Amino acid sequence: MSMLEVHNASKHFGSLVAVREVSLTVAKGELRAIIGPNGAGKTTFFNLITGFFPPTAGEIIFDGQNVTEVSAAERVKRGMARTFQITEVFPELSVRENIRIAAEVAAGYALRPWLRAEETRNIAAVVEEMIGLTGLAGKVERLVGELAHGDQRAVEIAMALALRPRLLLLDEPTAGMGEQETYEIAGLIRKLHRDKSYTIILVEHDMRVVFHLADRISVLDQGALLADGTPEQIASDPAVQAAYLGKAA
Amino acid sequence: MLQLVLFNLFNGLIIGAFYVLLALGLSMILNLSNVINFAHGNFLALGGYFAYVLIPYIGFWPALIVSPLLTAVLGLIIERTMIRRIYGRDPIYSLLLTFGLAFMIQDACRYIWGVNGLPLTTPASISQPLSQEFFFLTGYRLFVVGIVIIAVAGLFAFLRYSRMGMRIRAGVLDLDTVSALGINVRLLRSLNFAGGIFLAGLAGVLAGGQIGLNPNMGDSLLLPSFIAIIIGGMGSLVGTLLGGLLIGVAAAITTMFYASASDTIIYVIMALVLLVRPRGLLGEEGML
Amino acid sequence: MSVTAAGAVDTARSADRRWLVLAAIWLVLIAAPLWMPLIGGYTSLGTRILVLGLAATALNFLIGFTGVVSFGHAAYFGLGVYGAGLVLRYLAPSTPLAIVAGILLGGVIGTIVGALIARQRGIYFAMVTIAFEQIFYYIGYKWDAVTGGFDGLRGFQRQPIHLGAFVLDIQKNDLAFYYFVLFIFALVVGLMGFLLRSPFGRTLLAIRENERRARFLGISVNRHIWLAFSISSFLIAAAGALYALLNDFADPSSLYFDLSGDLVIMAVLGGIRNFWGPLLGAAVFEVLQDYISSQTVNWLFFIGLVFVIVVMFFPRGLLGFFHRRRQT
Repeated sequence: MSMLEVHNASKHFGSLVAVREVSLTVAKGELRAIIGPNGAGKTTFFNLITGFFPPTAGEIIFDGQNVTEVSAAERVKRGMARTFQITEVFPELSVRENIRIAAEVAAGYALRPWLRAEETRNIAAVVEEMIGLTGLAGKVERLVGELAHGDQRAVEIAMALALRPRLLLLDEPTAGMGEQETYEIAGLIRKLHRDKSYTIILVEHDMRVVFHLADRISVLDQGALLADGTPEQIASDPAVQAAYLGKAA
Repeated sequence: MLQLVLFNLFNGLIIGAFYVLLALGLSMILNLSNVINFAHGNFLALGGYFAYVLIPYIGFWPALIVSPLLTAVLGLIIERTMIRRIYGRDPIYSLLLTFGLAFMIQDACRYIWGVNGLPLTTPASISQPLSQEFFFLTGYRLFVVGIVIIAVAGLFAFLRYSRMGMRIRAGVLDLDTVSALGINVRLLRSLNFAGGIFLAGLAGVLAGGQIGLNPNMGDSLLLPSFIAIIIGGMGSLVGTLLGGLLIGVAAAITTMFYASASDTIIYVIMALVLLVRPRGLLGEEGML
Repeated sequence: MSVTAAGAVDTARSADRRWLVLAAIWLVLIAAPLWMPLIGGYTSLGTRILVLGLAATALNFLIGFTGVVSFGHAAYFGLGVYGAGLVLRYLAPSTPLAIVAGILLGGVIGTIVGALIARQRGIYFAMVTIAFEQIFYYIGYKWDAVTGGFDGLRGFQRQPIHLGAFVLDIQKNDLAFYYFVLFIFALVVGLMGFLLRSPFGRTLLAIRENERRARFLGISVNRHIWLAFSISSFLIAAAGALYALLNDFADPSSLYFDLSGDLVIMAVLGGIRNFWGPLLGAAVFEVLQDYISSQTVNWLFFIGLVFVIVVMFFPRGLLGFFHRRRQT
């Protein structure tokens, strides 16, 4: 069963072709990495999947439904959650408030002026679960803007998880991180995939992380799909080595 | 009847020309610096008063250029000392800052030149009616239209063909990239601000010659200039130009049929435009 | 009622502290008629500060807690003024009815305008709010027959309030009117605090903090900004209705964008990230304005200078420095 199917998606900005007729299929429970040199169109491709902007051509099928024309907010409601290359959080709110907002919106309470006691308890339980899962237990009352970069990333992932997504999209989760932080985030992603069976699409620069975690890898180059396969296949693909691994890694 | 229609159309064109001068300056500053200059109408008044002071010494024609230049220099000083400090901050601060500056300049004008209106002497050569039948076609009004056309054409030529102008246009589209290319964005913004103020000062001299000077003379032009920008589409100077002319003429035509609605018609147009095209007539339609 | 602390179940100590601050604020407000004369004030100045403080607080629902700047909110304040005034003048001598009418007029029209402009952002949003305000200013100014035009609407008085056998004479007794205004103030501010602590209120904070993140949590940002604009219009219209009762008079200056500017500077002067900042800002600004205009005919220059000084040197406002840090 596939979670996501992309058919011949293209995105043009004026005369620039950022994504060129890319197709791929991600199965349920799979962890897919998307790699490619800088400017290969990875983030643009992510933005197409999540509805940040519409594709110039092509179709996006999410869990059997065509979502090509569906707004970003609606895609979130249908089960797509994402993180951004540059961490997007609520800096002047506490860790708990950040995650709580995500949990409340996911539960459909975004317009509610109050909650019943039981609903409040359910939200609190979700928040606690996400805090435990992402290892933020000691920092719940801190303002997110005051946290270290790695912890902010963990908050962002916790918020995405609080949406109870069926597909989790992580855009360069280890960007700008030190050795230790990269290790911790990689461990978290691994746990989400192996233990919690999340379907994950991951854009990532760090090849150790990619080859360590991914079930399958898709390689983008100059907006087009260059190769698609298991880590072993990709590592031994001469086209990939020529276009990418040789130059950039 | 034809005479009446022409009369009103021409009136609309004149008032529209003033909206255009003011709105283009506002729009330039808004596009590059993301600042709404509430004091813009007060710079207009200053331009008029400077001309009032200068004309006895240097005559009308030199004052027509020198007064706006002086106004622009004052604008440059204010930009360098105050306004530049709030670039990049929450828009609330630029709003409040220029709002306060508007009060200060207005009261300073009142203190120096008095509350009562002052006349601005214009040369006899351009003050005569040109025709008995079309009495409203005074030389001065044609002169105003001519100067505005020259100023607008000059501005667009500057933005299109000069190096500085091209940089300003690039900065409006993508300030980060322009900055990354090593262009001095602060200088660009300062000169752009001064340019916008120059247009306001010029409008002040022209308006002074037509309706005289008083400390609040810019007030009635400021809000319609906002409307011109909103209707034309934010980010587009051509849109601002069209917007200014459109509301000037629309208000004049409305005057013919139902005079007391002439102030309201421009707001009705604005509401309709926002309803149909939230980004304005020529504004970029973009996803957030 | 510091909303910065909303949601989190803090340590018992910080919760205690919040209650103490809250109790102190209400004590000061309730006792104001007693202590104000001691420092040269008088009851009707206190009432005026309360009304304008309520307006600035309501505006801050949008500015401080949703992160959206309206520079034309005097429109909905002014519509509240006229709504109340028109009812008293033409319809019925009833204070409660006047207040309800003012709230409805300002709130409903604010809701309609909000629907038109909720897609705008940042400085453009501010500009469009100013433009719309001007429409209502023109109506108030031009529609002589009903609004009294430039001279304003006269010939009405706030009416005593009948509570069964008991009559609260807010008409002749300034002190009674102060407490009546304080009561309405408490209701409106209480409602606003309640909303800000709700899931809906937290979505507004989310939009303020990071619109992109909010959108990718599934919040319909435009709709929530519209709702915030609408709610803020209803709240500020309540202040407007009280203003009509305070002056027994309605005039177009209550719809003019100069007043919008004053309300924004009050909020910023006090501190927009603090729930009580705008009330403090209103008090300081009103007293300052009173003082300056009694000292010089060129008061406008110095009021302008106040704006400039606040922006350049106190952008976080008087309460800005207490903002939030205590939680860590």
